Amino acid sequence: MATNNTSNNTSREISTQADQSYWAIVKRQFKKNKLAVWSLRIIIFIITVGLLADFLANDKPLYCSYKGNTYFPVLKEYAVDMRLSKWPEELNNVVWKDLKYDAVIFAPIPYAPEKTDDKNNDYKSPMGSQEIVSTRWRHWLGTDQLGRDLLSGLIHGTRIAMLVGVVSMSIASVIGILLGSLAGYYGDEKLKISLARLILNIIGVPLALFYAFNTRGYILEDALADSFGSFCISFLISFFLFLILMLIPNIITIGLKKIAFLDKKVTIPVDILISRMIEVIMSIPTLLLILSICAIVSKPSIMLIMVIIGLTGWTGIAKLIRGELLKVRSLEFIEAAQSLGYSEARILFKHAIPNSLTPVLISIAFGVAGAILAESSLSFLGIGTQADVITWGKLLSSAREYAPAWWLAIFPGFAIFVTVTIFNFVGEGLTDAIDPRLKQ
Amino acid sequence: MFKYVLKRLLYFVPTFIVISLITFMLGQMAPGDPVELKLKGGMGGSANGQSSEKMAGEKAYMELSEKLGKNLPAFYFSITSAAYPDTLYKIPRQNERKNLDRLISMYGNWNNVSDYYKNAKLLEQKLFQFSNTNLDEASYEKLKALRDNNSELFINYDKVKIGESLKTIQAAAIHTTTIKTDSTHTKTIQPFIFALPEVNNLVASYTKMNNEINTSNNYVPAFHWFGLNNQYHRWLFGDVPWFGKNDNPSKVSKGFFRGDFGNSILDNRPVASILIEAVKLTLLINFFEFFFIYIIAIPLGVSLAVKKGTSYDRIVTTLNFMLYSLPAFWIATMCIIFFTNPYYGEALNLFPDHGIGKTGADFGFWEKAVDRAYHLILPMFCMLLGAFAFISRMMRGSMLNVIRQDYIRTAFAKGLEPRKVFWKHAFRNSLIPIITMFASFLPAMISGAVIIEYIFTIPAMGRISYESVVARNFPVLFTILMFAAILTMLGNLLADILYGFVDPRISLTKKA
Repeated sequence: MATNNTSNNTSREISTQADQSYWAIVKRQFKKNKLAVWSLRIIIFIITVGLLADFLANDKPLYCSYKGNTYFPVLKEYAVDMRLSKWPEELNNVVWKDLKYDAVIFAPIPYAPEKTDDKNNDYKSPMGSQEIVSTRWRHWLGTDQLGRDLLSGLIHGTRIAMLVGVVSMSIASVIGILLGSLAGYYGDEKLKISLARLILNIIGVPLALFYAFNTRGYILEDALADSFGSFCISFLISFFLFLILMLIPNIITIGLKKIAFLDKKVTIPVDILISRMIEVIMSIPTLLLILSICAIVSKPSIMLIMVIIGLTGWTGIAKLIRGELLKVRSLEFIEAAQSLGYSEARILFKHAIPNSLTPVLISIAFGVAGAILAESSLSFLGIGTQADVITWGKLLSSAREYAPAWWLAIFPGFAIFVTVTIFNFVGEGLTDAIDPRLKQ
Repeated sequence: MFKYVLKRLLYFVPTFIVISLITFMLGQMAPGDPVELKLKGGMGGSANGQSSEKMAGEKAYMELSEKLGKNLPAFYFSITSAAYPDTLYKIPRQNERKNLDRLISMYGNWNNVSDYYKNAKLLEQKLFQFSNTNLDEASYEKLKALRDNNSELFINYDKVKIGESLKTIQAAAIHTTTIKTDSTHTKTIQPFIFALPEVNNLVASYTKMNNEINTSNNYVPAFHWFGLNNQYHRWLFGDVPWFGKNDNPSKVSKGFFRGDFGNSILDNRPVASILIEAVKLTLLINFFEFFFIYIIAIPLGVSLAVKKGTSYDRIVTTLNFMLYSLPAFWIATMCIIFFTNPYYGEALNLFPDHGIGKTGADFGFWEKAVDRAYHLILPMFCMLLGAFAFISRMMRGSMLNVIRQDYIRTAFAKGLEPRKVFWKHAFRNSLIPIITMFASFLPAMISGAVIIEYIFTIPAMGRISYESVVARNFPVLFTILMFAAILTMLGNLLADILYGFVDPRISLTKKA
């Protein structure tokens, strides 16, 4: 029976294999790895927890009817935060737990991570007795010294951990894919530009930098002093200004090309330049660099840490995609595209890069694990943390203050461990599925 | 071979330049005036002090600033807007310099800004030359207001704030008071009228600056060349001559390349002497760590490869992978909580929770060694786990690679017993990547142990870097950063060379 089954399966596989896309093959290979598949499911679960954190653990009720009015306080808070609405008089700064409701539905964990429970402060163990009205109000994983609920902190910490992974890896992917593909596609000999363009760009870059960043220096500095978010916006404005300014020399080139001497082609060794850059970035120990930057910035924030992790973490992705494009660029479909007379940019972005992206997934999976680990290490050290942001690392470090509180050591650490492990498992599964040769 | 090493060493140069530039830039961006920090906020800015004290503070500041080379331009050249003078670096105090910088960007006219600054300085001098005896309460308050508001001018660029300060100064300068000349007569005097010309000049220059705003110069780039006598060059090469005698006593820096990394901001000790102790400890810990890792992880990796596909292999490999993802600081926290105190039973209170044990000359060598080992068991265990899992995974993979080769099949085919094939033929060749791994561990020694050393309070490199971050002790921090980067480069080179030695098939010259 069993043999019959497998032979059936194989025949079906063979019959469908021919018209399957690369993606489908990768997917099928990945599904063979049970551990990786389960890890992926847990990741989806964790992401859901992160997204729904406010609805899972909150001191505000999800729904309540108070003094004849109906409210959805959790939803309402989003509106209040966005300054679209205001709390009504009778609900402004209230202790939600103590109100006399007509009807109410609390979140599953009726505690906010940063709110203190005065009756259950001073390290209440999850096993021991707690001063609560009913089991509904139990602190399932205990509290810390101020009486903050640990489970609620863990749930909200999930959001931060996921955010760290997403933000830092998005930055790293954009930089890594762009630079890696340039290096891989053009190599050392393929990028030829006219002398005029080269000279004008060499002059143009410092000038564009000057106008985009130097003359706007104090605008950027004031924005940084204000908040990291407004700094990012100002920085992006500067960056786009830079890009627009860089258009000018390249437009002038078109006219200058008519002079034969200036139209002489020069080869740019893109690969050497980018590879050296990768080597330089890789030789700076990331943790030390982040520590140094946090020491310099007057108000280090979690956003800043995510950005730095992203800015230093792109080298692995760049290396992978460079290798991939070195292979891809000599394949027939690229040649075909070239013979059709497509522009280099079109070939690169529409044909070459999309066909070499899969290995990047591996790097991203491992990268997310690394980023989460790095961020939790930093918040464990108390570097770059904000008072109002609860992270797993911060919760874990609070265990060091009071040894008998074992729950503060075990649960946050376990959360970090599980998250890092499953992302690593997914990375491993992807490696097996995409390119078994990469695996040692 | 020699050619290859030479070429690689040449590759170092651009990499090193970039890294030193990054480090230097971080140092320039560091908050706080390094000179001020070293003077420990001493006599510097106090506006209340005696004039002699103030002058002494100013002198001390200048001397230290020269000693630290902070009176030099930052880099070989600068690209600024044409509104900036190329001599702005000569303004000694960092906060005043930054404020002037800001004023230039606001008003775009260096001549007017510098007039305003000079007038403010003149007023400051005048005010401090005034000896403040024989003043009544109200006048004394006014004098204080004069001095305070005057020094506010040097650090404010906001129009409203400057306006307020100027108004207070003007009002205080014409302050009138009555004093007794003898028991019956009183006289109305204006004690600060002597400063009125300076005050008027100051206000006039401020008004002029405000009336002649011309920011168009801010959009004209200007290039200034400063030559070799700059902070970056001094930091790397020093200002003491490399050959011959140093005849200028104010030149004290030997520079990074001659082992002078500056002095700690906290206690003014040379950075090198702070780091040497930490380096010794780091080396000791890492020596034993490597020893244990290799002695356990390698046989484990081999045995996993030999039994590939069995449930033993699957389970241990998966466990190993989880061990690899285990956050070391979690394990360390758990160890501290469960094994270093008596809350969970006396039986578990096995280890000390911090430090490295007895130091000093009172104890014998063995006594110290045993105590140190006892203190280092837990931290080393925590540091080991991740590296252990990594190495055994590598070993398994590398062994599997070798077993697939033809010559192993040949060895089996000619009837050699498996143990001999594995250990004599396969093992040796599969060691190659593992040996080279060693080289890339060099830099990880510094940065890898920051958290564990922080948790267990071990004064090795990691802990020092953490402490210098918290205390913003930049000379120490940046020296560590530079060395970590240099070690990484050296480690990569060493790995490549080792590779060439252990595996003659790899031709370095061709690869390069």
